Amino acid sequence: MNGDGMGLREYINDIVEAVVTTAKGMRITARYGVDAKEEVTQQYPEVRREPEERFRGFLRNDIARCTSCTMCVKVCPVDCISLESVRGADKKMVLVSYDINIGRCMYCGLCVEVCPPKSLTHTAGYEMAMFERGEMVLHFVQEEGGEIKARVAKQVAEAAAKAAEAAKAAEAAKAAEAAKPAEAAKPVGLPAANPAPKEDLSAEAPGGSKADPEKKA
Amino acid sequence: MTRPTEALHTQEMLINMGPQHPSTHGVLRVLLRTDGEVVVNARPDIGYLHRGLEKIGERVTYAQFMPFTDRLDYLAGMNCNCAWAWAVEKLAGIEVPERAEYIRVIVSELNRISSHLIAFGSFTADMGAFTPFLYSIREREVVNDLFEMVCGNRLTYNYARVGGVSADLPQGFLEKTKEFLDYFEPKIDEYNNLISYNKIFVHRLANVAVISAKDAVGYGLTGPNLRGSGVKFDLRKDEPYSVYPKLEFDVCVGTGERGALGDCFDRYMVRINEMRQSIRILRQAVAQIPEGPVMAKVPRLFKPAAGEVYFRSECPRGETGFYIISDGTTNPSRLKIRTGSFVTMNIFETVTKGLMIADIVAVIGSFDIILPEIDR
Amino acid sequence: MEALALKLMSAVPALAGVPLWAMTLLVMVVVAVILLVFALTFGGLGSYVLRKVAGDIQVRIGPNRVGPYGLLQFLADGVKLIMKEDIIPAKADRFLFALAPYLVFVGSFAAFVVVPFGVGLIASDLNIGVYYVMAVTSLVVIGVLMAGWASNNKWALLGGMRAVAQIVSYEIPVGMALLPAVLIAGSLSLQDIVRSQGGLLGIFGWNLFHNPFTFFSFFLYFTAAQAETNQTPFDLPEAESELVSGYNVEYSGIRYAFFFLAEFGDMFVVAALASACFLGGWHVPFFRAETLPGAWGNLLSLGAFLVKAFGIVLVMMWVRWTLPRLRVDQLMRMSWKYLVPLTFVNLLGVSLWLLVFRGKGIPQLIASIF
Ligand code: SF4
Ligand code: SF4
Repeated sequence: MNGDGMGLREYINDIVEAVVTTAKGMRITARYGVDAKEEVTQQYPEVRREPEERFRGFLRNDIARCTSCTMCVKVCPVDCISLESVRGADKKMVLVSYDINIGRCMYCGLCVEVCPPKSLTHTAGYEMAMFERGEMVLHFVQEEGGEIKARVAKQVAEAAAKAAEAAKAAEAAKAAEAAKPAEAAKPVGLPAANPAPKEDLSAEAPGGSKADPEKKA
Repeated sequence: MTRPTEALHTQEMLINMGPQHPSTHGVLRVLLRTDGEVVVNARPDIGYLHRGLEKIGERVTYAQFMPFTDRLDYLAGMNCNCAWAWAVEKLAGIEVPERAEYIRVIVSELNRISSHLIAFGSFTADMGAFTPFLYSIREREVVNDLFEMVCGNRLTYNYARVGGVSADLPQGFLEKTKEFLDYFEPKIDEYNNLISYNKIFVHRLANVAVISAKDAVGYGLTGPNLRGSGVKFDLRKDEPYSVYPKLEFDVCVGTGERGALGDCFDRYMVRINEMRQSIRILRQAVAQIPEGPVMAKVPRLFKPAAGEVYFRSECPRGETGFYIISDGTTNPSRLKIRTGSFVTMNIFETVTKGLMIADIVAVIGSFDIILPEIDR
Repeated sequence: MEALALKLMSAVPALAGVPLWAMTLLVMVVVAVILLVFALTFGGLGSYVLRKVAGDIQVRIGPNRVGPYGLLQFLADGVKLIMKEDIIPAKADRFLFALAPYLVFVGSFAAFVVVPFGVGLIASDLNIGVYYVMAVTSLVVIGVLMAGWASNNKWALLGGMRAVAQIVSYEIPVGMALLPAVLIAGSLSLQDIVRSQGGLLGIFGWNLFHNPFTFFSFFLYFTAAQAETNQTPFDLPEAESELVSGYNVEYSGIRYAFFFLAEFGDMFVVAALASACFLGGWHVPFFRAETLPGAWGNLLSLGAFLVKAFGIVLVMMWVRWTLPRLRVDQLMRMSWKYLVPLTFVNLLGVSLWLLVFRGKGIPQLIASIF
């Protein structure tokens, strides 16, 4: 269809070529069209692709192990981790709050890489929805920040008061300190803002299968 | 007798193509001045996606900038990752373990394939054939799976590190890569049969927006757009870096097989052929990759000595170069990024004169521009 | 219509008292409604099939959420389109803008009148059938141009201009490619054309096999018709990747639905003409449907006709999902430099053939030897 003043031969060649190439293409599309095995779509909500082992999903901090070293805060290129901690009675840092703004996080994984005790990890989660941008924050410390501060302050004060009684008092404070993370660890399993789709599903599935025989009966 | 041209009063039309338009490949805005369907002038207006990457680079450390390079060319994140790593290593004189270099080449070439697949797919979709686009996406998905395996993400990889790569290849990665190559190689012929040599497709591309070799060099085109004009220039060959000298491959250039040398079809074909060459490189790299560490010793608080460096590497969309000035602190003092797509936009106005509106789409597609690279 | 009304009145004594004109009107309305329902259903199911075919070809699945196998998708879409806000752009020409989609739809729907669905199943067997179709589908041009102009959108205007140029120039090859069938039948009536293709095992009577020229004529018609209905590779008026959506870019809601239905209506009309003029229409291969008693003959022939027409529609979709799009100038060149001359040559060839062989086709010639 190109150029003017073409000869009859080119003219016919043009037509033949158009027909042949079209037929070639149509043969390929027909093959795919007929062959049902070629379908590659996965029906997403029903069929889920298992993320790879290294998948960088939502972040999760096991605050029982976190040492409040702030390495992750410093390395994050977009400043989405905020962390507050106070010095406890035993000179160790106590986390008051550890929030990750997942609306800003780009899942680069730099923070996970630097975390010395490996308390910060990626989960395989990637599904989350919320109504407002402000909600896109994962809170990892469940307890009220003020309470922790007050308690730690009390402990520190107690420790200071009992400083005279040195060894004994310090021992006691340590014991209290050791008990606290243990109780704090329980609710931390998953952060509050995380709807935890995986757990939901697995919780539903057995429920559904239980319900079925009942219905039939 | 009055001649009809005198009697008829015609008016030029100013059309705003973009920033939201199905085939401007992003938020490119082209101001079209047309005479009916014929384009009198097409002026690209860029900057809708400006994020100030270069300024960000000055505010974050060398290591922290790595995830931002993913966003430089989001279809070829691995290439940009590696380019940044190579640039910083050149600046600081870091020796990288050989295994890491091989890994970088492997992921770069895989990414080149997936990037060219998108170029091919979106180009054909622009030309009105939607089916090849989905075929190309299907193949790209396999590459994405491989990348997810190796670094945990499918688009923004953040895989390379200054001094190596973030993690060694996982178990079974090389086997899967080989599998993919065996699966993918015949697909290229299928694409060619399906669309590349289709009469309509050829006619849409041949002799459209011809760029002579002289113009291509003059305007600073790089990558497939330059090679499409018949200039044999490939940084992997002409300014070899990493382990490319150890790998055999040909530099694909346009041949003018269906029209004038340097037309849209040539640029398109260069990409198709480059996928074959990437397969060739990958096969060699997979066979040659040595064992060993994947990370050099780099201090955590990394401070390269004061100085400046320009490093360029061959990315799917041409030369991606980083010009870094270091003042001895943890952050670059100045960072300038040169990208293929941005430079390509220079010639856009020149080559689109007198084409038709449909050709504008073909030209944009054949340049394979990507907006984050243009606006940075 | 009047004849049908008379028949009905004589068959059912209770209706004898009804005046003839009222009865005729009633019959007309009923027939029109049946056709409309058919057109709408075809538009709906056609869109479903189109997407399913696209899905199959593009290694996807296609619609599968609404109803079994996603079959009710078109209902969901219809409801959605009706519920959508009807937006008329502020600077649009409101009257023309509102009128255009209906005009386009009327243009394509009116052609259904002469589609020979089966033995005796035709809304009106006009003696100028083919001519009528050509004329009435040209109405679409005006509607499309109106839509493009009234939208006050440059993309829409370009789309409208393209559509007009395209439809007008492809009208000629379409007409020329249909003429061989008219020549063979010696009539413009579509029923006559279909009837002329009977006999000879049902297949070899088809105009497609009449002689080499009609064989090519079919493909020429198919190509040109593809262009007339704005299907890929000739979908320039709506060229999504160039003109965003072409002449209907500003339309939404029910008005958009009319454009959509008109497109599918056109598709069916084209396929129906192709099967009526070249593929033997409602003739069932190896069988004479007319001889069946009562309604069975009607039904069987209807089935045969629909199968043929849908087959052609399917091929159109297949082509649509394979080929890229032409450029405007190439489109014009294709019409004027390729299709028009070729159809003319074909017409000449058919005429000469009919002259030389006294109207007999190759199969008939072969049959006459034995
Ligand atoms: S993944 Fe990256 S962006 Fe997200 S919190 Fe960690 S360092 Fe910050
Ligand atoms: S780097 Fe790890 S241990 Fe340190 S503050 Fe962050 S999460 Fe806690």
